[in-house]
Amino acid sequence: MTVTFRLNGEDCRFHGDPMTPLVDILRQERFLTGTKAVCREGFCGACTVHVDDEAMPSCLKPVGLVQGCAVTTIEGLSSGNQAPHPLQANFEAADAVQCGMCFPGMVMSLSAFVRDNPHASRPEIKAAMVGNICRCTGYERIVDAVADCLDQARKAGQSVGGINV
Amino acid sequence: MSELSATVMNLPRRDAQDKLRGRTKYTNDRIRLDMLHAVLLRSTVPAGHIRKLDVSAALRCPGVRAVATGADAPGLYGIGIADHPLLAIDTIRYHGEPIAVIAAETEKQARAALAAIMLEVEPQAPVFAMAEALQPAARLVHEGWRGYDVITQGGARAGNIAWEAKSSRGDVDAAFARPDIRIVESSFTVGRQSHVPFEPRVAIGSWEDGRAHIQTSTQVPWTVRNVTGRVMQLPPGRVRVTVPPVGGGFGLKFDASIEPITALLARMTGRTVVLENTRQEEMATCLCRENAEIRIRSAVTAEGYIAGREAVVLMDCGAYGGEQVFLTTMTAHTLGGNYKVGATRLVSRAVYTNTPPNGAFRACNGVYNTFALERHTDEICDALGFDPMEFRKKNVLGDGDLGATGQVFEADVLGPMLDRMEALRASTGTSEAKADGRLYGIATTVGTWFVFVGPSAATVNLNADGSATLVTSGVEIGSGTMVQSLPQIVAGQLGLAPDQVIVREADTDAAGLDVGVGGGRTTVSIGAASIAACAEVREKLLQTAGEMLQTRPEDLVLRDGRVEITGRPGSGMSIPAVVAHAQAITGPISGSGAFAAKNTPAMSGCAMGHFIDALDIPVFVVHEAEVAVDPDTGHVEVLAYRVVQDVGRVLNPRAILGQIQGGVVQGLGYALHEEVTLTADGRIAQDDFETYRLPLAQDVVPVAADLYEGAPSMGPLGTKGAGEVPILAVGAAIGCAVARAIGKPVRQLPLTPPRVLRLLHEREPPPEFPHIAPGWAANTLG
Repeated sequence: MTVTFRLNGEDCRFHGDPMTPLVDILRQERFLTGTKAVCREGFCGACTVHVDDEAMPSCLKPVGLVQGCAVTTIEGLSSGNQAPHPLQANFEAADAVQCGMCFPGMVMSLSAFVRDNPHASRPEIKAAMVGNICRCTGYERIVDAVADCLDQARKAGQSVGGINV
Repeated sequence: MSELSATVMNLPRRDAQDKLRGRTKYTNDRIRLDMLHAVLLRSTVPAGHIRKLDVSAALRCPGVRAVATGADAPGLYGIGIADHPLLAIDTIRYHGEPIAVIAAETEKQARAALAAIMLEVEPQAPVFAMAEALQPAARLVHEGWRGYDVITQGGARAGNIAWEAKSSRGDVDAAFARPDIRIVESSFTVGRQSHVPFEPRVAIGSWEDGRAHIQTSTQVPWTVRNVTGRVMQLPPGRVRVTVPPVGGGFGLKFDASIEPITALLARMTGRTVVLENTRQEEMATCLCRENAEIRIRSAVTAEGYIAGREAVVLMDCGAYGGEQVFLTTMTAHTLGGNYKVGATRLVSRAVYTNTPPNGAFRACNGVYNTFALERHTDEICDALGFDPMEFRKKNVLGDGDLGATGQVFEADVLGPMLDRMEALRASTGTSEAKADGRLYGIATTVGTWFVFVGPSAATVNLNADGSATLVTSGVEIGSGTMVQSLPQIVAGQLGLAPDQVIVREADTDAAGLDVGVGGGRTTVSIGAASIAACAEVREKLLQTAGEMLQTRPEDLVLRDGRVEITGRPGSGMSIPAVVAHAQAITGPISGSGAFAAKNTPAMSGCAMGHFIDALDIPVFVVHEAEVAVDPDTGHVEVLAYRVVQDVGRVLNPRAILGQIQGGVVQGLGYALHEEVTLTADGRIAQDDFETYRLPLAQDVVPVAADLYEGAPSMGPLGTKGAGEVPILAVGAAIGCAVARAIGKPVRQLPLTPPRVLRLLHEREPPPEFPHIAPGWAANTLG
């Protein structure tokens, strides 16, 4: 069976079992290894991508279900020499990263969250992170950086993100 | 400008942007279509004899290029004792043990071929618990234990006791016989903790010019090199190990495990072979922090003097000795740390069982011994009516006090740190109001840890563009040492900016020996070797510049990328000009440096079977937790957490604070909800993220931390390791705080809601250890 979808702004065709998890196609066929396959059961969030602007774990998404959809991966969020997404810039500035493996998924989940929740409180940010596990950092610095990012956007009178291919 | 002021800064991580953009290629991102995929046939019984293993049919399956068994890699490896085969040879000792491996064109083909392996196993009665393993008539997990190659001499061994380390100082019997003392005895038990690095153990092996090349996610490239040599019976120099960025280690990757298999298959096939644990395999065969059983007795006077102390610590090494053989050493320094004690004797035994082997995990052994010692200290205070804080202030180790092996500690560190904790609490306030009707507890605990020094090597090449290349076997596992402290140190020594210091990723063909990234050692050991390398570079640079400037080298300084005459900023010439001149006249400028432990002495006869008799660099912590316990559900909420940490000298405060937050949260998981249990057939029951409960964002609080500087350290610029120790006293602080909240003794971790409820309703039986004899000496091999 052939599945056709948009991947980071370009047409993508997959020939094969439509039950194949999207993450395997991204990593093994498109070499988009920024999407991490960690638990493969939807708990850790490291494989989060946007499907039609909504953040979801690509391990639980059979590719057949993205037929006709627009999929954005971490590589598509800020590609090439483009400026990083404000969240990425804030995480870098806050020295939030350690081993780094959870961060692509963390960025994909939270970039959708800050876009939709410009006035989120700290507890709301933490609640939004329930599907993204980090084993290194103890989370608080990530929460701080998200809060800073929202704060900066509010002061500038802008929304965060809207960067969707 | 002093070296120190040029070195200390909040340098951001150079690897952050690529990691955030998903561009960093960890080992498991480097799998290519032309690689063979290997999968393991693992045991589904915990103990047995292999009666038949026929792989010929599997070899004929589609896509299969090689099948290997234990016969193909007959050498045994281990730390202390070589007891561990790469693939089971004749005997199966744990559920999940690798028996054979298949390499095929695709992972699917390799998996399909597993079914074609003919395996007949005669099951044996497994020995699961240490209590069973220590019975006189227990079946031996290693029937041939006497025949193993002992790599490090000195430990007592017998049957299921893989290794025994003892320390003994003073007349303990006399202390316990004093008429003016009370005896307090406590027993504790703790389970395993799984590391759960986001990148599982994975390796890519190839065979190049008659040598193995393994790319792998490891903390110990030299161990992987040496173990691969041992099991393949090759000179270790015929193995090259390189290490891409590592997606988390926490100690799990401080030993070799599956990596040599890829070299073996690469030699058999001539192809590049990848082997990656699935998440289920990774968790089911995790080299966990070991489960342990601890009994402590103390003889304490009415004035609060600890006249005598003795303890027995049983550490489950699982099916193979591994890291636990080494870690028996640490009891003398963790359980034997913290307090002034008149006379003391401690025994620590690594016990074989038919369970998955355990390993190293951040502040190994120290985490549970600190929990046990601090809870025991609170039980002493309860029994004798002392205020816990005053008792600690009176008794913590200070200048000139003796450790369990007779080591003499230098300087008062823990005492002033307790004062600093009180000051920190005064500045943050307490959070009792947040308990909101629930049971509230607060506890302040202390901990003693160390820096695992040991050999490191570094080379610094000074380049004609003014940059320097640092070549070491260090690995970036996430703690930031390779991207923050080391470039800061080299830059500070050579008058460069940190971004002018290129840090080479670990390659055993390029850099000298290193015992690995762990034990809080990278900044100290590789840092010291780097400073020694920089000294040689500096000498050559100043010599050349002196000739060019007609000035004595001792009148020159390195500053802001220039060689300047002392006291005359802007004088002299740029480093590139000097390097270019040197390259033409005397050759390129480089330097090499080395570091080794100084082997601080213990008191003669006090330490037996120890890998480390005394701590070269002790590290101390004070942790304070505030908790609220819901009496209806048993749920423990952490309301606040404070840390005062002995860091020696801070090079990058922001990076250290990040390590403290992360380490404390891993400790909260250990203390409260990360639980590993075994099924009836000896399998680790928690082998996925659904069953193993990791800390989530909503479980944690911001840790308030105060970095205590100035304690003595042989580390470069006075540094100590700061990344390992933050987890040390979390189980202790939470255990003590919960015990105070519920008014019942806490003797077991983790404090899951069901356990806390049972404690509240007095339905949790206290740990009983019939296999630990009442007399201390009966628990030793003599």
